[in-house]
Formats: sequence, C-alpha cells, structure tokens
Amino acid sequence: MSVYGRRRLMNYAVIGLAFAATAFGLLWLVLVLGTLVYEGAGAMSPALFTEMTPPPGSKGGLLNAIFGSLAMTAIATAIGTPTGILAGTFLAEYARGSRFGEVVRFINDILLSAPSIIVGLFVYEAMVVQMGHFSGWAGAMALAIIMIPVVVRTSEDMLRLVPDALREAAAALGAPKWKVVVTISYRAALQGMLTGVLLAVARISGETAPLLFTSLSNLFWSADLNAPIANLPVVIFNFAMSPYAEWNALAWGGALLITVAILLLNIGARLLTARSTFKT
Amino acid sequence: MPAEHIIKSYDDELRRLNNIIVEMGGLAESQLGAAIDAVAERDSALAARVVQDDAKVDALEQEADSLAIRLLALRQPMARDLREVFAALKIASDLERICDYAANVAKRSIALSQAPPIQPVYALPRMAHLAQQLVKEVLDAYVARDAGKALEVWHRDEELDEMYASIFREFLTYMMEDPRNIGPCTHLLFMAKNIERIGDHATNIAENLYYLVHGTPISGVRPKGDNSSLEVVTPQRPAEQRDGGR
Amino acid sequence: MTGSPVPFPPSERQPAGDSPVKADIRDVHFYYGKFHALKGISLPLYDRRVTAFIGPSGCGKSTLLRVLNRIYELYPGHVATGEVIVDGQNILAPGLDLNLVRAKIGMVFQKPTPFPMSIYDNVAFGIRLYEKLPRAELDDRIEAALRRAALWDEVKDKLRQSGLGLSGGQQQRLCIARAIAVQPEILLLDEPASALDPISTQRIEELIAELKSDYCIAIVTHNMQQAARSSDYTAFMYLGELVEFDLTERIFTYPREKRTEDYVTGRFG
Repeated sequence: MSVYGRRRLMNYAVIGLAFAATAFGLLWLVLVLGTLVYEGAGAMSPALFTEMTPPPGSKGGLLNAIFGSLAMTAIATAIGTPTGILAGTFLAEYARGSRFGEVVRFINDILLSAPSIIVGLFVYEAMVVQMGHFSGWAGAMALAIIMIPVVVRTSEDMLRLVPDALREAAAALGAPKWKVVVTISYRAALQGMLTGVLLAVARISGETAPLLFTSLSNLFWSADLNAPIANLPVVIFNFAMSPYAEWNALAWGGALLITVAILLLNIGARLLTARSTFKT
Repeated sequence: MPAEHIIKSYDDELRRLNNIIVEMGGLAESQLGAAIDAVAERDSALAARVVQDDAKVDALEQEADSLAIRLLALRQPMARDLREVFAALKIASDLERICDYAANVAKRSIALSQAPPIQPVYALPRMAHLAQQLVKEVLDAYVARDAGKALEVWHRDEELDEMYASIFREFLTYMMEDPRNIGPCTHLLFMAKNIERIGDHATNIAENLYYLVHGTPISGVRPKGDNSSLEVVTPQRPAEQRDGGR
Repeated sequence: MTGSPVPFPPSERQPAGDSPVKADIRDVHFYYGKFHALKGISLPLYDRRVTAFIGPSGCGKSTLLRVLNRIYELYPGHVATGEVIVDGQNILAPGLDLNLVRAKIGMVFQKPTPFPMSIYDNVAFGIRLYEKLPRAELDDRIEAALRRAALWDEVKDKLRQSGLGLSGGQQQRLCIARAIAVQPEILLLDEPASALDPISTQRIEELIAELKSDYCIAIVTHNMQQAARSSDYTAFMYLGELVEFDLTERIFTYPREKRTEDYVTGRFG
C-alpha cells in the first residue's frame, strides 16, 4: 500500500477513535443527567420551594435547605471575591517576576486542588471547636476558603491577558500604578474576572464534604447562622441514604435543583464572554 | 564601488546605466574622430556616415533617461546611488550634445569640401584633437570615478578656449585678405565654435562627475579663456596695406 | 563603557537656525540586565523639529526612546545611566516624580492601544489625571486634540462609542490625540505607522508635519523613506551606538560615515 494510502487509513482510524472516545464520555453524561431528570422531575412542584424539610414519612419541601445554601454561598462569595481578586491583582500586577510572587502562586495552586474535606476539617478545628458548636458562619467560611484560590487563579490569568502595551500607554500619560490597574487592567479584564467568579460560585454551590463538618444541617427552618443550618448538599446526603421514599424523592429533587443552578451559572458565564467577543 | 546591494537586481540596473553612458562616451569619441577625419581628408562619404550614426546616440540617451526615471521611481535611491543616477542623466545629455556637435561638424565638412581647400583648414584639426583628448580623459575619469582626473579636465578647458580665440582671429584676418575666403571660413568658424562647445560639455561632464564623487559641486568659477565674443577687428584698407605705412 | 568616541560632542553640534535644543541627551547607557543595549549616546533633540532614528533591528533606537520617558522603569532589571537635560533639568535623575515627567513627554506606540472605554474617555484620560476641568472646558480640550489629530470629523458623532470600534489608522490617530491632549512638550513616536496601511501612514506623516510647529518630535522608524520624508534631523544607530547624526538631507544625499551610507543605500540591514 502506498504511503498516502497508509496515511489515509491511519487518519480514518484515529478519527474513529476520537469519535468513539467522545461518545463514551457523552454516554455517561447523558445517563447521569437522564437519571437525574427522570428521578428528580417527579419531586418538582411548588411545594419544593415553599415547605420545609419534612419529618420522615410526610411530604414537604426544601425551603430551609435552599435558604441555607443561598445564604452561605452569598457570604462565601462576599468574602471570597474581593480577597481573590485583590490577591490575583497582586500576583499579576505587582509581583510579576518576584520570588515571593512565585511562592504565593505555588501555594495557591496547591490550595486549588486541595480536597475539600481537608478544608472542612480545618474550619472544624478553627471555628467549630473554638465556638463550641456547628454554625452557618463556619460553613460559609469553609466555602470561602475553597473559593478564594479559584478566583485568584482566574483573576490573575485574566489580568495577565491584558497586553502590556495598554499599561505602558497609560503609564506614558503619567498615570500612577494603581490608576493603571484600576482603570485599565480591571476594565479590560472585567468580563474575564466576572466569569471566573461565576464559575467559582458554581463550584462551591455543590460542595458537600466541608459543610458536613461545619454547618451540619438542620431539619427545621432557621435563619440563625450561628447555629447549624440546613443546606442542599447535606440534606441530599442525609435524605438519599434514608429508607423513606418521600425523603429519597426530595433528595432527587434537590440534586436536580443544584444541577440546574450550576447549569444556569455556567450559561451566564458563557453569555458574558460571548458578549465581550462580540464587541471587539 | 563598495559592497553590493542586498537586492542584486538594483546593482544590475545601476551597472546597466553605467554601461549605457560608457557606450555613449565611446560613440562620442569615435564620432568626433570621424568628423575630424572627414574635414581633414575631405571625405564626404565618411561625413555622411557620421551624420547618420547620430541617431544611435539619440536612442541611447532615451534609454538612459528612461532607465534613470525607472530607478528613481522604483528604487528610491539614496546618497551615492542617487548621485549616480542624477549624474548619469546629466552626463547622458552632455554626451548627446557632443555627438550632435560632431555631426554638425561633419555636415559642414561636406559643404566645405565642395570648395577648393584653403589654408586655415589645418588649424582646425589641432583644436579638434585637444577636444577629443578632453572627451576621452573625462570618460576615463567617469569609468574610474576619479574626481581628481575630472578636475584636471575642468582646468584644461581654458586651453581649448584660448585655441578657439586664436582660430577666431586667424579666420577673421583670412577673410579680410580675400573675400573669396568668406564662404569656407564661415563654415570653419561655425565648426570651430561647435568644437569649443564640445569642450564645454566635456567640462560639464567633469563637474557632474566631481559632484558624484564628492557630494558637493566644484567650487570656483569655471576658467574661461574665450574672449572672442568681445573681439573687435578693424579692417585695414588694401591701399594703406600696400603703402607699408608711408 | 567609554571606549567608543562620542561622534557629536556638544561643540560640534549642527546649528539649527533659530531652534533651541529641547532635550540634550548626554552619554546615555542602558542595560537590560547584563546586556549593554545603549553605549554612550549623545545627541540633541531640537525643539519644533522632527528627529528620526533609523537603524537595523536591535540597534537600540526604540530603547533610546523608552529611556526618554523612563517607561523602562516599569520593568525590573532595566537600568539607564547618563543625563537627559530637558529645560535645564535632568529627567533621568533619581527621586523625580516619574508621572510628572511622563506627563510632559508623550509617547505613541507601534501598535495602536486604545483604552477599553469610549473615545471621549480615551482622550480625557490623560487630562483627568492631573487637571480638574469643568465639563465645557474638557469638551473643548478634547475637541481640540481630536482636531489636531485629524480625527474630529470622523468621530464627532460617536464620541461615546468604544475606542475599540475604530479602524487601525483611526485608532492610532486616537492614540496621538490622547497623547497631545495633555499638552506635552516632547512627543515620542515609536514606529507609529508601521502597523498601518499606506494611506493611513501618509495621514500620520502629514499629521507629524503639522504637529512639528508646536512640539519637539522624535520618531523611530525602520522605514527609511518615511524618515527621509518626515524628519529634519536623522540619527543612524547601529548595535547600540550612535553612528551619525545630521540634517536629514545630508544623511540621505551624502552621509559622512560609510556605515550610514551602506545602510541607507541598502547594502546591509
């Protein structure tokens, strides 16, 4: 067979393999989503959003869990976003070639891939044991600690993408460094950084392990962050493993809810980036 | 010439321009020589050939012009290259005029040879040989891009001018002696003037060559040895001449 | 390193008629870390004249420009020695407020760099840094700058639109408008037209010819014909040294140095 013929065959073979691998991956994704939708659709009803988690055996909703998750996610975002962005700014603008910057970046990368349960354990020791009880604050803190490295990473990456020429142009006009960062770098990287934040929020909204050690859960309505508070992941964890059919159904509903929320956040992030590419 | 251009075709075009000038120069020398011979030997056929060959030089000048324009437009020559092109343009024009004058001399020699030969004819070739020398030397200087040699030619034009002035006086006296000489002498006068102009153009070439090499024009006024335009000759009446001063 | 002779000691500077020296560059050396990029550069920049810097890639002409407004100090390891005297003051002296120095010396870069904001805000950026102007006056300054940059007619109806929406040539003129809006005294142009098409390039050159009457302009270009067309003085640099500095006319008809002649006639580069 000629060289060209062999190459063509090789080409087809590899294309075939690529398709097959994609199909394999997609298969599992479709199966998971399908199961989720199938099982969770049944639990979808207005009651899900209006009623509390029920005692075993009776019907109810997930309102307290939803509230708890929203509250802790919001607080974690409030803590994590400014910290992460400012740290990312430091790394990208002020610590470019320095040794210190490299060390910080390295530590950040380690934290980024740290198992979330370790973060949970840390916050358990630092806050829960000190305070003497589980609390929503501890939960929010754990989530924040997971969020920060992500935001730092994406902020730094987005800021680095801003061409130095822009900074030089601003500096050449006599702008002090902080002004260059705020008016030029931030403006240019804004969309990218927001996308990073959104993705980080999506990440923490599904974290379960840290919450097990920090906020625990609460079967009743509670808006007191100083005490254990209900949240979706832990509720799903508990309800899914229970023998009660209603609880199982609610667990599926909660899982579907989280999935949809993450989906919406991701779509939002995509829309943001799409808008920016459209503009230029 | 210093190192070659990065773009070789640029060098080729400059060389071509140089070669056209050199060819024109060769023709100028040979035309002038043939014209002088035609006068000295009263050879009308040779003279006719000289007149015909003038067209060749005109064609070469056209070629030089268009090549120079092309170089200016397409290559944007700078510094020495620019001076080369500029000098080539002017030198081509000067050489073309030299050939024109040579052809004029040849044409007049045809008319001259219809009449019986007269004595002053023999003064002309001497002047013409000097002119020929000047042309040859300035062309050699061009080929070698030798500004020193150009300067020498520039100074020797004075010699040619002085020769012309003396020929002028000689012809005038001859014409006064015998009116039958007026016809041929007038032709000879014009021919002498043409040859003097050839010398001037050779000097032009020398000036352009100097500028090419040094980037500044020759300073100083060109030495002029020709006062013939101011010459006044009062004719003496034949009776007084025979008298011998009584 | 003072081995190489300084080609133009102050006593032999070319007279510029009635034009004083705006920036006197004296024995400037520059190092990128260990690399000695500029070796003892000395030359004058005359006021209300355009000085062009030409030379092959890597000869240091852009580096020299960047020394003049100290933009190199954004990066660690870049060091400049020597003096640049502007209006009696050495702007390379330590302890000077860099931002004030840079406000007096404007720079336009090779690639157009409009800020990600409206055209109005782009031009106003520099003004707003140091001056607090009432709205009407700010409008006037911006219009004047855009007019000077030959951009006003094209953008007067879309001042609120993003600067990124303009064409390359327009963006570059916007950058020029931005630089002159702060009324600097010296303008540094680093290959301002090399990223532009021929028509835009000619517009920029015409602009330079007009701006010349009010500013001391230094332009770096690798396009010799542009240097020949636009400048009054030309400096030829090679491998970090200043080889020749003279009237542009002289450099391009009869340069003194053989290296200069070889470069401008295209015998090396």
